[in-house]
Amino acid sequence: MNFFRTKKIWKAISVGLCTAMAAVVIAGCGGSAGSDAVNKGVLKVGVTNFADTLEPTENFFGWVVMRYGLGECLAKFDEKMNVQPWLAEEWKVSDDKLTWTFKIRDGVKFSNGNPLTAEAVKASIERAFAKNSRAATFFKYTSIKAEGQNLIITTDKPTPNMAGFLADPLFIIVDTTAESSRDFSKEGPICTGPYMVESFVKEKSVMKKNPNYWGGEVPFDTVEIPSIDDPNTRAMALQSGDVDMAVNIAAGDMDSFRGNNSFTIDEISSLRTVLARLNQKGILKDPKVRAALICGCDRETYNKVLLKGTFLPGKAPVPPSMDYGFDQLKDPNAYNPERAAQLLKEAGWTDTNGDGILDKDGKPLKLDFVVYNSRAELPLYAEAVQADLKKLGFDINIKSVDYNLVDQMGIKGEYDLLISNITTANTGDPEIYLSWYWKSNINGDNPQNGSGYSNPALDAKFNALSVEFDKQKRRQLIIEIQQMIMDDGAALFLGYPQTNIIFNNALSGVKMFPSDYYWITSLIKPASK
Amino acid sequence: MLGTLIGVSFLTFCLTWLAPGDPVSMLLETADTVVSAELVEQTRHDLGLDQPFLVQYVNWAGGVLHGDMGMSYSAKKPVVDKLLEGFAGTLLLAVVTIIFVLIISLPLGIWSAVKRNKLPDYIVRGLSFIGVSMPSFWIGLLLLYFFGLKLRLFPIAQSEVTAAGIVLPALTLAIYMSSKYMRQVRTVILEELNHDYVVGARARGLSETTILWKHVLPNAILPLITLLGMSIGWLLGGVAVIEMVFSWPGIGNMAVRAISMRDYPLIEGFVLWIAIVYMVINLLVDMSYSWLDPRLKKEAR
Repeated sequence: MNFFRTKKIWKAISVGLCTAMAAVVIAGCGGSAGSDAVNKGVLKVGVTNFADTLEPTENFFGWVVMRYGLGECLAKFDEKMNVQPWLAEEWKVSDDKLTWTFKIRDGVKFSNGNPLTAEAVKASIERAFAKNSRAATFFKYTSIKAEGQNLIITTDKPTPNMAGFLADPLFIIVDTTAESSRDFSKEGPICTGPYMVESFVKEKSVMKKNPNYWGGEVPFDTVEIPSIDDPNTRAMALQSGDVDMAVNIAAGDMDSFRGNNSFTIDEISSLRTVLARLNQKGILKDPKVRAALICGCDRETYNKVLLKGTFLPGKAPVPPSMDYGFDQLKDPNAYNPERAAQLLKEAGWTDTNGDGILDKDGKPLKLDFVVYNSRAELPLYAEAVQADLKKLGFDINIKSVDYNLVDQMGIKGEYDLLISNITTANTGDPEIYLSWYWKSNINGDNPQNGSGYSNPALDAKFNALSVEFDKQKRRQLIIEIQQMIMDDGAALFLGYPQTNIIFNNALSGVKMFPSDYYWITSLIKPASK
Repeated sequence: MLGTLIGVSFLTFCLTWLAPGDPVSMLLETADTVVSAELVEQTRHDLGLDQPFLVQYVNWAGGVLHGDMGMSYSAKKPVVDKLLEGFAGTLLLAVVTIIFVLIISLPLGIWSAVKRNKLPDYIVRGLSFIGVSMPSFWIGLLLLYFFGLKLRLFPIAQSEVTAAGIVLPALTLAIYMSSKYMRQVRTVILEELNHDYVVGARARGLSETTILWKHVLPNAILPLITLLGMSIGWLLGGVAVIEMVFSWPGIGNMAVRAISMRDYPLIEGFVLWIAIVYMVINLLVDMSYSWLDPRLKKEAR
């Protein structure tokens, strides 16, 4: 049989080969090394983007507007989450704590050349309130007035963290007068940042230098931001020079950048805490059992070995990335299995039937640990806790549920341990997070605390905090609150995830902030300049 | 046809409604921030989710009949716009993949049929076995690693539709699909080769080449077209894993995200799209039968 000697077959095969060759040639023209792009004035950034439009008031899309260097707020958070001036030069609060005066920076222009006035800021903030009901969860105003360059906001109740609230990307300042001729959700908003939108779809965004930027010369003519959702691909794109910086490289890929002279890693702990809430309506009512549970968990090993150092070991409610006394807080329940065993004995738990599980009054020491799987580290933590506590005679039953159900289970208290991976302080202040989880829930007035935990002394501190305006005193109160929560063994703090930016050394000025709002800034420059 | 569309959309509506989870909490907690109960209620009302199930369905179906597929919850864009965004990428990827599949699987499948139980046959069957067994995302990552990172022949991730960017994702899909096709082509050709007309043709002294090209292939093409039609439908539904690995903007990734966000209007829009694609393709396949096989045309008369 000699079908394959026929001309037709060879023709087909040669056509196929030609196609492949042509493809290779076309492709060969495409790729260019990272630093080439930088030298040509183009910055390429690999990210994961969740926003479908750049309308800052829709969903959480404002985060992306700010991350991409487009939008700015009146205030911003520094690397310790302290609130710093941005579009507002300074601010003060009246003696009755209800009226805030923000002085708007002079000489700032929107990217279309319109001046930034207090009137424009007022219109922008009112727009945010009108378009998104989330705005009212930060504060409710009775009036906003513009007087010269001063913006005066009056609230119905004291709002100590007003500047921090206005730093949320929901309150990105946009030029509302531009809206008559421009659809913000299709073409992007007009803001004051160093870059402005050239084109945007979810998968890829291209931005141009803002010629009217108030903060000096903008280093790049063009910024290209492809959204590369697969973490392996993102790492490869950075290695190959398809992008010059990338956000949140996965743990498994970090090693190829560590010790590589071409790249720099900026890794910090984020604002998140992974913790297990402890329900005090069941066996964990006994403080000795809670203390035993907490000091039976070797959190140092979980984070350093199991999670390969991508998490920092947990200790306190507020992560160390914020300036709330992490180092001075003392963990009364640091890892100590002997003490844990001793505490359980004191609490009256013994293994009477020899099955390896402790019991008391005929009941086994059996606890439900509710976790969800959408974050890879959570089941790992749960299994590590299960294994450690098994040695002490706990029987931990891991219940995996859909993320959607976790919130309701927390409110109803249908757990013994309940895992959370939560952002503790988007607004630079952990008050909301702390009081939601640990302030007493009296007749359902604090539904998020479904654990039955209640400490009147702690509640008094919370009440003092809600009306305290002095920054130093607030900090002191939050430190005391954390120490009380730790002393009461109210929760098991497992760890704090780290976030990172990795960049090609052709760049300088790249920095990861704990607040996750600032990726592309005017400080990012070619290293040669 | 309309009945099918109504049935499919209603079934999807029921399923999404029965699935645990709630679009409002997914929307508000994308950032894992603490949200208040009032805000959840307000958002639920804004989206019309506080209405009874049937009312929601009728509202939606009424909108579709007027050409309005509604707004996506998570994208805050009209569903039609979202579908169109991914359409170009998905269509192009499907076409290029099918061309690759034909180039790879037809010659190899025919070759292995003709050389049955000889070395070439074993090689082709071995290759197809390996191709089917390897997960496609892994093939994709391997191709990216060698052709993108090591050889720098192709870009790794452009996140837009480009000529250079389509080669690797289409090749990945083609490797996976061809592995199945080669065997099917082989089976079909073998079956035809055993027919009496082939023996007759040989007896008349026709060359093996003529038999294969003039007699066997035209007969073998009908079952292959059916298979191809189904694959085109599958490709046009988007291939989420491949789109994810190659950052290829297509409809599959969008659909997966719509489901995880419980974005009901977008899920419904996607399902309608798939249903229509399959119907149209089946129609085209049927039409191609009578065009390719004159016998069927005569029977119809």
